[in-house]
Order: sequence, then structure tokens, then C-alpha cells
Amino acid sequence: MRRQVPLILCFAFGIVMALTEFSPHPFSQWLNEEIIDWALVIGPFALVLAVATLVQSHWTRIRRRSEYWQYSFLVFIGMASMVLIGIPGGQRHEAFVWLFRYVQVPMDATMFSLLAFFIASAAYRAFRARTLEATLLLAAALIVMIGNAPVGDLIWNTIMPFQDNLPSTARQWILDNPNLSARRGIILGISLGVISQSIRIILGIERSYLGGVEGD
Amino acid sequence: MIEKLMNIDRRIIFILVALAVIIPSLLEVNFPITVSQPTRSTYDYIEALPPGSTIMVGFNYGPSSLAELHPMAKAVIYHCFQKKIRVIGMTLLAEAATLGDNMLKDVAAEAGAVYGQDYAYLGFRPGATQVLLGMGTAIDSVFEADYAGTSLAEIPLMADITNYEQVDLVLDLASGSSTEWWITYTNTRYNQQIAAGVTGVIVSQMYPYLQTKQLVGLMPGLLGAAEYEKLIGMPAKGTEGMSIQSFAHLLVVGLVILGNIAFFIQRRQGE
Repeated sequence: MRRQVPLILCFAFGIVMALTEFSPHPFSQWLNEEIIDWALVIGPFALVLAVATLVQSHWTRIRRRSEYWQYSFLVFIGMASMVLIGIPGGQRHEAFVWLFRYVQVPMDATMFSLLAFFIASAAYRAFRARTLEATLLLAAALIVMIGNAPVGDLIWNTIMPFQDNLPSTARQWILDNPNLSARRGIILGISLGVISQSIRIILGIERSYLGGVEGD
Repeated sequence: MIEKLMNIDRRIIFILVALAVIIPSLLEVNFPITVSQPTRSTYDYIEALPPGSTIMVGFNYGPSSLAELHPMAKAVIYHCFQKKIRVIGMTLLAEAATLGDNMLKDVAAEAGAVYGQDYAYLGFRPGATQVLLGMGTAIDSVFEADYAGTSLAEIPLMADITNYEQVDLVLDLASGSSTEWWITYTNTRYNQQIAAGVTGVIVSQMYPYLQTKQLVGLMPGLLGAAEYEKLIGMPAKGTEGMSIQSFAHLLVVGLVILGNIAFFIQRRQGE
């Protein structure tokens, strides 16, 4: 029963949603909208599950004294502070906004900014024209980087005044042509993969989302 | 010598990057901006909307992408307020809820826009797909109240807005996949017009949608913000950031070229 009920629900809702998507009949449209409303109610439960998983995983780290377990206390302190202020005071509470603006924003921005240093270091060490493909990638990357910086056009226009803004024009050509073609191929591939995987899930062939060993 | 160059201490590179960022920000150098067609298309679309039109802005980015997308949000929203275009803000990300609220309030204060008449902020609801599909039927079925908890029925701006039919443009400001969700669920199903402003790392993914006109316009990262600021004649953080980005890009390009020269010399010596 534990596996049959989810499989039956998945099959029924999958088929109903696929059919209602293509039928303009008022009943079909009503059913589609009704099921979307149900899904809206189910959505918040994912947040509850996420919080429960976070607490469980960090509590386990503390209990087992895993490496850097002390930092897990910071997770609990951070979470408790936001919840204790956010739930009674609401998201517009002065303290909640202060914590967001002066703690979360700088920390998040700092973590992301560090990438610039590592990207520069990695680009210097790893971006080598070892093969023809690597050379093409390297050339495209350099053109796009120079074209993305206004100084590229300025330097070019100063030393080569016969063709204005060539770096940004070349960057736009790369994005509009080779990039677009490659991306479209990837999108088509992903879409076909998603369709086939969806059919497998609806028909109960793919059951890994149920957890446990496949074929239980 | 070449060996040393190939194995340069990464701390030297870190110092060079820090200098490339700090020096231009102190000198306040500005470079001329060339406006790209995708940004111009976004501007032209908004410019052509008559006063009283409505734009829905999705603040779908977190604090980590704030430096790139906040200047863009500010420029577009300011442009809308100047043109008397009404703005409805919302987000599909929990962490962006406060960020969108602050941004709208700041720009509204600068432009003299009034909450409830010129703009409204709906905040966050979980379940991105269901939120996008649900708003196609009725916005108040998803957001029964705004971010401050006021019922949508009590907000004058929302009186004549039921669903996407009354929204002239959706502008998605994104650091992730949200633009593709808007395209899949609102453009395809409801024929909603969509423009996007995205971070530099995902801009290349958006070009197929631009060509098929599923996106009416696209603003690429901080450069997009600087381009939009140029179009509305209000240089701000985006334009300032471009001088820093210019020096940082030049440094990386220089490092890559230097690394490759060292690589070729070493390979030749090996042969």
C-alpha cells in the first residue's frame, strides 16, 4: 500500500493534468485551476520539511562531533533569531529588516564576491590553449569579456578608429549566433529528456522518487 | 623564470584583483557605454507603454546577486514611475522578500510614487510553478494580501487587476531559473509579454528566448544596468560599477594571455 497509493495518485494526477492542459472545456479548465490551488496549499509543507531536515542534519553533526561541529550551533542561533523575531513581528519588523540588511546581505554578498578572486586565479592556471577546441573557447571568452567591459570599446576606438565598437559588436555576434545555436540544442535535449522522464514517472516505470531500492 | 611565472603564488593574483577593484572605485573613472540591442528593446517596450499601464516586477534574486541586479531594478522602476506606469512587485524566492520591499520603497521615495496608487508589493508565496499558474486565473487567489498584510481588495491599484490580462509586461530580475519558469508557464500559456534582467553568468542561456520573441528584451548583468541608466539619462551604481568591471576584466584577460605565453614558451622548451 505504501508504494501503490503514491503510484496511483501520481498516475491519476499526471494524466488529468496533461489532459486538462490541452482541453478548453470549462470543466477541464476548472479542474486544472482547482488542482493548481491544491498544489499551492501543498507548497508550504516543503518549507516545513526543509527546516526539519536542516535541524536534523545539524543536530546529528553536533551529536557525533563531526568536523567543525561547533558551526552548527551558529546555524541554530541564526535560524532561531530570525524565527523568533519574524513570526511574532512579521517580515517588516524593524529588527527582522535590520538583521536582513546588515547581517544576511553583507555575508551573502561577501561569499559571492570571493568568487572573483578564485576565478581570476583559476583562469590564469587552467585557461590554456592546449587543443583547437580549447583555443576556440579561449578566444570566444576573451572577446566576450572585453566586449562586456566599456573600456574594450574605448581602447579599440582609440587605436583602430576605422571600425567603431568592434569588441561589443563581436561579443553580441557571438551571443546571437554560436551561443544561441548551442543553447537551443541543449534546451531541446533537456526538454526531450524531461518529457521522457515525466512519462516514465506517470506510468510508474521510474520510482526512485518514492525512496528505498527501486523495484521494492 | 618561466617556471616561476607558471606557478605564481595565487596570493599575488588575489592582491592584483583587489587592486583592480579598489583603485577604479576610488578614482571614479567612467567609460562611455554602448547600448546593446536587447537592453534597448526592453527600454523601447516600456517607453511605448501609455501612462496607467501595469508592469509586474519579479525580484527573483538574493543578496549575493544584489550588486548586479539592484541597479537594474532601480533604473527600470524609476523609469516606470517617471512614465506613470504602475508597478506590482513580487518574488518567488523567500530570501528576496525583504529585498524587493526595500527596493520599491527606496525608489518610490526618490520618484515621489505613492503606495497603493503607483505601486504595490505582494511579497513571497512558496511553490513557484503554482504561483505563476495561479496568478493566470486570479492574482488574489495566490496573494490574498500584500506584503504588509493589507487585503488586495483594499489597494486601489489592484481594483482593476485580476490576472495577467491586465498586466502589460512582466519584468523578471533573476539570478537563477525563474525567467524560464515565467516563459514556460505565463508566456506559453497566457501569452504574457516578458522582459528579463539577469546576472552575467546566465545571460547566454536567455538568447534563444530572445530570438523567438518569448522575451521582448534582456538586460545582461551589471552592463545591462549601466546601459539602462544611460538610456534614461540617470547614471548611477551600474555606470559606476562598469569602470570596476572594466579593470577587473582587463586584469583577467591580461592574466590569461600571460599564462598562455608562459605555457607556449615552456612547451617549446620541452620540445
